[in-house]
Formats: sequence, structure tokens, C-alpha cells
Amino acid sequence: MLGKQTGRYQALSLAMVMAFAIYLLPAFATDALAKEAYAGQAFAEEAFAKEVLAEEAVAGGEGEGESEIEWGQDVFYKDWEGNPLKGPVSGFPAPELGPSDYNNYEFAPSRMILWMAAQQHLYFGSFVLAVPIFCMLIEFIGIRSKESDPIMSVKYDRLAHDLMKISLTAYSWTAILGGILLFTFITLFPGFFKYIAGIFRPVMHIYALMFLAESGILYVYYYGWERMSQDPFLKWIHVSLSVLLNLVGTVLMFLANSWATFMQAPGGIDEQGRFLGNIWHVIHSTLWNPVGVHRILGNIVFGGGIVGAYAAYHYLTAKTEEERAHYDWVCYVAMFICIFGLIPLPFAGYWLMKEVYAFRQQMGITLMGGIMAWLFIIQAVMIGLLFFGANSYLHNGMSRVKGAHRYMKYSKYMILLLIVCFTMWMTPHTIVMTPAELKAMGGAQHPIIGHFGVMSAKNTAVNLMITTTILCFLLYQKANKKITVPWQTIGNCWLSAIFIGAAANIIFLGVYGYYLPANIRVGLSVPQVTTTLTTLFVGTAINTSMFKDAETYGEVQWGTMSKVGTYAIFLLAISFTWLMGLMGYIRSAVRLFWHVTEVMRDNSVDAYTLTIGEAGKMLTFNTLFVWVQFVVVFWVASLTGKKEETVPEPQAVPVPAQQQQ
Amino acid sequence: MNKTFISFFTFVGTMLGFHYVLFPIMDIREFSWVMNRYVYYILIPITLIVVNIGFRLKPPISLIALMVWVLGYYFYDAILFPPIPWTLFITYMVMWTIGTFLYISQDANTFREFRAPIVKTIIGEYKIARIVVFALLPMLVGFVTYNNIYPKFQEPVELRTVHPAPPATTKVHGKTWALETARNPYRIDNQDNYKNSFPFLDADKNEYMKNVTEGGTIFFQECHYCHGDQLNGLGMFSHVFNPTPANFIDPGTIAMLRESFLFWRVAKGGPGLPNESTPWSSAMPPWEEHLTTEEIWKVILFEFWYTGWHPRTFDTEESYIGQWEKEGKPTGAYSG
Repeated sequence: MLGKQTGRYQALSLAMVMAFAIYLLPAFATDALAKEAYAGQAFAEEAFAKEVLAEEAVAGGEGEGESEIEWGQDVFYKDWEGNPLKGPVSGFPAPELGPSDYNNYEFAPSRMILWMAAQQHLYFGSFVLAVPIFCMLIEFIGIRSKESDPIMSVKYDRLAHDLMKISLTAYSWTAILGGILLFTFITLFPGFFKYIAGIFRPVMHIYALMFLAESGILYVYYYGWERMSQDPFLKWIHVSLSVLLNLVGTVLMFLANSWATFMQAPGGIDEQGRFLGNIWHVIHSTLWNPVGVHRILGNIVFGGGIVGAYAAYHYLTAKTEEERAHYDWVCYVAMFICIFGLIPLPFAGYWLMKEVYAFRQQMGITLMGGIMAWLFIIQAVMIGLLFFGANSYLHNGMSRVKGAHRYMKYSKYMILLLIVCFTMWMTPHTIVMTPAELKAMGGAQHPIIGHFGVMSAKNTAVNLMITTTILCFLLYQKANKKITVPWQTIGNCWLSAIFIGAAANIIFLGVYGYYLPANIRVGLSVPQVTTTLTTLFVGTAINTSMFKDAETYGEVQWGTMSKVGTYAIFLLAISFTWLMGLMGYIRSAVRLFWHVTEVMRDNSVDAYTLTIGEAGKMLTFNTLFVWVQFVVVFWVASLTGKKEETVPEPQAVPVPAQQQQ
Repeated sequence: MNKTFISFFTFVGTMLGFHYVLFPIMDIREFSWVMNRYVYYILIPITLIVVNIGFRLKPPISLIALMVWVLGYYFYDAILFPPIPWTLFITYMVMWTIGTFLYISQDANTFREFRAPIVKTIIGEYKIARIVVFALLPMLVGFVTYNNIYPKFQEPVELRTVHPAPPATTKVHGKTWALETARNPYRIDNQDNYKNSFPFLDADKNEYMKNVTEGGTIFFQECHYCHGDQLNGLGMFSHVFNPTPANFIDPGTIAMLRESFLFWRVAKGGPGLPNESTPWSSAMPPWEEHLTTEEIWKVILFEFWYTGWHPRTFDTEESYIGQWEKEGKPTGAYSG
């Protein structure tokens, strides 16, 4: 796929699966439903606490006959019988904030300043978390291909090193933005921050220490690159360092996530906001797992988009053929990883929304049917653009592969399917219309397209869109292969059967959903998602197995990517940046007038919900601002790159999957 | 004559012929699987494909793109019925335009081919085309400007939230209900267990149908004037209201909501809506002033039974069904 030999397909698949296993492990190690999963543990803890209490009562009973421990009821966790879990009160209640708890500047509302600071930090944070994932994968592939294709191996290694160089600059930038965010909290929202810091005191210290560990590993990883490349054993140690780096980075992100998820759906405290003695309950509130998984996948797509855009810019401005070929290839690698993250991303989003609904119906409705609903429509449009961008890139990418003409005739049908699904996907439940139009339509719901406004239709549409993208990708893989395995007819039949069967199953489940109660209907998304992921894994497995001893129609002509395909990468990167800001805003703003939902009220003058237009302006500003910073970071990184130009480069142009064999 | 022109005129002719001759014939009022506007529409691209392939016209991709785009426009503008609102039309057309663009830009060759006539027109290779285009463009701009400036007298569109987030609690007849946990006290069993019995007919046979019947009676006494005797929001008064009364048959209304949500909406009516839902433009009265708590729950029971929808529940919430039986005779107000 990214390398020269068929063996690399397996290497890449293995790397992908391993990477995902590692990153998703912290989240999936525990059950999705914190409420249920920890009931047992909480029950044991409570029993233990009661024992201690009894002992204390016995001990103290000799004197006063009464315990001094006060017990509070958890706002979220429940015991086996469904009663609120009890815990010893170990903190102060959430304060009622007044004017003295908020500071502001003349030039802008505090909330906007905080929003900007948080968003910029998050953008950079996700970039620096994503790049090491890339580096790990690319370096791993480089090591695996060292014997079979030394030239490509060097190319991979250099690419990983170059990406890390950019990440290093971005890393310190992220830390600075984090500092700005912290100071913004302390100076503008001191009352709120005092409370949060009181609850998360140990977590914040662990976070700081983890940051230290991350920095240490990062510096050893980057500065030890050349030295550790000399020896094969040391090289493996080096790539292991990247695994460690990513693990620490993931833990860092999960720790920081806990603050946000606690604010949105608190646990581990009582109704007054008093800490009940179990820090794990506070960290592991109900949204912690889905937010974590969603962010990991989002980071991968975001990082892929940025690296892709960086390479696309260099591709368009390249002076020499070699340069064009190189950056075309880098674009491809970045887009490959980006699309790989994009495919499961909507599923993680569904999981998150399901947990939000389960936490509070009110919050779910505010998001999907209430004042945030229009922002979700905008989100649907943006997600559609991402899929269009990804598919457009694949279609255009195919045209530079010899032998692709066999499959390119199917592109138009895939586009048609994408458009039909997307139309269904973004048809709003509540349509904006004038009274005259409403009368012409005969009611608020359209008899045909009205059916597209509910989840059954939307799930079906998005699964079909993803399946189409997978199909497109498989065809891209096959583009220049002349399959020679004896079972190619059977293999192709299986592939066709998988895709046709998947489409039929997805559509059937979608239609069937209209006949089921809502709580069961929600469950149908699981087989739909499973179907889609089956096409991804089984389809890719069969497809790559068929490439054994395959002949080639010709080489991929790197450096001949069409401009439209290259611009699609920019579209993807910018759309994703905007989309990330949008969804972050929605997730945060759904707390409405609460700092911590139902526990700590936001009494500042900024406790209002922005109009869609105002929110849009802020999002656009944040997007532009962060991209200006990215450009600066790339420029700074390129300053060191210029010195290294004296190092002789490998002469060969990367040899891609399509020309292998 | 140039084959491209033949193809173009064939397209124009087909569209006009179909629209003015075949459309009135096929678009009959009674539902038919064959004679309907959607079958009619499918015939158009089939005809165009057959003609173009049959006569080997091989239209250039720019002309194909034009045909595709016009067919999309025609579908959303004239075929899809009832007509969709303007905002949705624009959205759909943006989608369709993006799709058309993806089609023409699927590889460098098709895009180059698509651009060729445009470039040739601009640089003057197609002299007549250039004169026509550059003469028509200002006129088009003028026309659009005129259309925009011309005063219109219709009400502006508004972003009204149909299903606002409910409050955490609501007070009805002196009792505070927590909407997160409140249950319908009359939902003693899953309604699927009563598939073979009917309200009014079987009211005396079981308790559940008795409650549904009572709910139905109240519905036809109080609600059907607006919500319709088929619960489709098309009651006799519905046409004078904006927004129109809710259509309970639609999968996007009560099918998506918990019973406690409906309880809150029925009890508080239009005036009880939050600002995002424009409480001033809803005619629904606060029914707590006219019905008892028990009656409101029974009406809700009837609405779900009649439409066949199941109330929204989350995960293990089914367990509340039958709880009333365990707790003895219903008091009418059960807040879980």
C-alpha cells in the first residue's frame, strides 16, 4: 500500500490494528457505561467504607457514640439497587459565584477570550498528539521494509523524522498556548477555577508530571534519531520509544478530558458539589470514554489533514520533478492515515451522543432537537464535505495509476450514491420555511423527505457513505494490479457479495428501524456499524490477499496528481479544523448556564448561548488564526530543514503500492 | 451539424416534450405504481441515454454535466411533491452541484475536457458563444438583482425549535414531576401485548384498553379539532395555525420522545414553551387548566397506541412497565 512489497500490506494492516488496539485500550478496558461498570466496584468500596465507619463508630462509641464522617449521595453513580452511591464528604461545596468571581477586560467578553485560548490550545494539542502516531506508523513501516526495499525504507524514515521536526516546534507552541489557557482561567474565572482545582488537585499534578515525561521521551526520541538509526536493535528501541510517547500522550489527553467531561456530566460529587473521596469517579464520569475515543480518532484525521495540506502546498509549489513526486507521495501517506481515522469517526460520535442522551434527556434534546440542532445540521454539511473531499482525492489519485481505467467508470455511480446518501443525511427534521411554503407542503413534515429527518435514515445514509468510501479505496488499491492468484474469480465474487450484502443489510436495518420502538431502534446502529466495519476489514483482507504474485500494469506516476485532487486536501484540512471547533463549541455550550452541569451555576454576564451567526464567526476566526500559526510553525521548522539540504538524498522516487510486483 | 449541438437540442426537446406532453398524462391524482410523476421522471434520463447512445452523439462532458445538473434541478423543482421549501431546495441544489462537480473533476482529463469550452469561450475561440455569454451575464445579474430588490410581502422564515429541551421538573396540579424519571402510570404493559384488542371495542375486557379508550374519548372531545381524527395534524382548524399542529403519525414527533416530554408539552401548552420555540406563536392551550393529570396521561397513552409508535425509553427503562401493578392501584400521579 505504502511500500513496495505485498508483505508491506500485511505490515501496514498489522501496524494499524496494533496502533488502534493500543490507543483504544484505555477506553475499552473499561465498560462503556460507567454507571453500570463501576457499580460493582463502587459497591465494594461503599461496603468497605461502611466497615471503616462501623469500626470508627465502635472506637468512637466508647467516647461519643457518633461518627464524625459525613456521607453524601453521588449525583451520578448508583449502587446495585439503583440508589445513589454514598461516599464520605471530602471537599467543600461548589460556591455560589458572584461578580467578584469573574474578571474581564474592556475589549472582549471573558468567555470569548477563554474560548479562543482553549480552542487554540486544543487545535495544537491534537496536532502534536496526532503526529507521533503518524511517526510511529511510518517509522515502523520503514523498519519493516528495510531489507526488501532499502531506498523506500530511508524515505519512510526521513518522512517520519521531518514530521517529528514540525511536531517539535508545535509541541513547545502547544505548551505556551496551554499556559495562556491556564492564566486565562485563573485571571478571568478565578472562582470557577478554584473549585475545579480543588476537585482535580491530584489529577492536575499527575498531568504536569506526565507532561514532563512526554517532553523527556520526545526529546530523546527526536534527538536520538540519527544515533539510534545506526544499529538495528537501537532502531527497534527507538520505535518503541514512539509507542511510549504515544501512550503517555494518550494518558495526558485522557486526564485533560476528564476536566471537560466532569463539567458536562459530573460524577463523584454530591448535589452540593462536594467531593466524595473517590478521584477515579470524578475522572471516569460517564462521557469520559466516548470523548476520549472520539478525540483520538479526531486527532488522527486532523493531523492527517494538516500534514496533507502541508505536503499539498509543497506539491503545488514544487520546482523539480523529484520534489513533486516526493510531496505527492507524502500527500498520499497523510491522506491514507486521515481516511483511516475518518471512517470510524462518526461511530464514535454516535456513541458519545448516546451517552449524552443517557445522562440527561434534556441535554440530548438541546443538542439534537433544541437550540443546538441547527449547528448539527451545519455539522452534517461539513462531514459530507469531508467525505466528498476524501472521495475526490481517491478518484483523482486513481487517474495517475496505470490500469485504473478499468475501475474509473464506476466513479460516477459512487458519486451518485454519495450525493443521494448525503442528501438524506443532511435533510433536517425541522425545515426552515415561510408560512406560504408550509401551507403548500400541507404540514410541518414532508410526506417523502420527512422520513429522512430521523436517525434510522441518517444511520443508513452515513453507513452507506462510508461503505462507498471503502469500496473506492479498495478499487484504488487494485487499480494497477493484474491479479494472478488462481482464486481471483472466487475472491472477486466474495468482494462483490460482501459489498452488495452489506448495502442490503444496511438498507434493510434502516427501513426496519421505522417499525421499532426508539430504544430498540437505537440498538440497530450496532449491526449497521458492524456491517460497515466488516466490509472494511474483510474487504481489505481479501483484496490484499489477492495481490499475491500480482502483475502490474505500470507504475504510479507520482507527481502527476491533478490540481483538483490536491485542492481536495486543502478542503479536507480546513473543513476539519472548522468542524472540530464547531463540535467542541456544541459540546461545551450545551451546558448552557452551568459551569458544572446542575452543580455549579455560571453567574457571569457571559452565561448566554450565542446566536448561530456569532458562533460561526468565532469558529471561522479560530480556524483562520490557527492556520496562520500552523504556517508560522511550518516556516520555523523549515528553517532547520534548509541546513540539512547538504545531506545527499536517496535518488529514487518512492515506489508505491500500485507499481509493486 | 455538430453532434454536440444535436445532442444539446435533443436534450432541450426531450425536456420540453416530456414536461408539456407526457407529464400531464402521467401525473394523475390517484396513486398508481406506473402512472406517477416519479416513474415519469425516470423515463427522462433513460430516453436521453438511449438517444445519445443510439445515435452515437457522444456529448462532451460539459454537456453531460449540464444535463445532469438540469435534471437535478428539474427533480427538486417540479417532480418532488409536495413542493419543498426554498431553503431546502437551495441546500439540495448545492449538494447536486457539488456532485456534478465531483463528476466532472474525477480525473484531470475529464476536468480538462470540461474546462475546454469555457476557456475557449473566454479567450474568444468561440466568438458567438462569447458574445452571447457576455451579453447574457449582465442581464442575468440584473434579473437576479431585480428579483431580490422587488418587495415581497410574505412573512420571513424563522428558525423555530420544534422539540425544545424540557425543563428538569414541571409542576402540574400542585405536584412537581421530575421529567427525567416520570412515567406514565397507565402504561402497565408493553402496548405490543394488546395488538389484538381495540379501544372502545375491548374497553371492558382489560384495564389497559379501558385507559386507552378513556384517552381516546378525551382526544376526540378536545384534541382532534387541531391534531386531526387520524392524528396526522390535519384537523379541521389546523390550516389556520402557524405553526401547524403536530403530526403524531410522523416518525419525527412523538415516536422520538419520552412520555414525560409529552406530559410536559400537553400540560403547559404553547405558553409553556421556552423562548427558542416561540411560545407566542403556538395556539395550543395549557391543558392542565382543562384536564386532570390522569386524563393527560391517558391521552398520551392513546396517542401512542393509535399511531403504533412506542414511547422513547433508554436502555433498561422498560422495567418500569408493570411497576404500577406491583404498587397497587394507580394514584394517577406517579413520579419515579
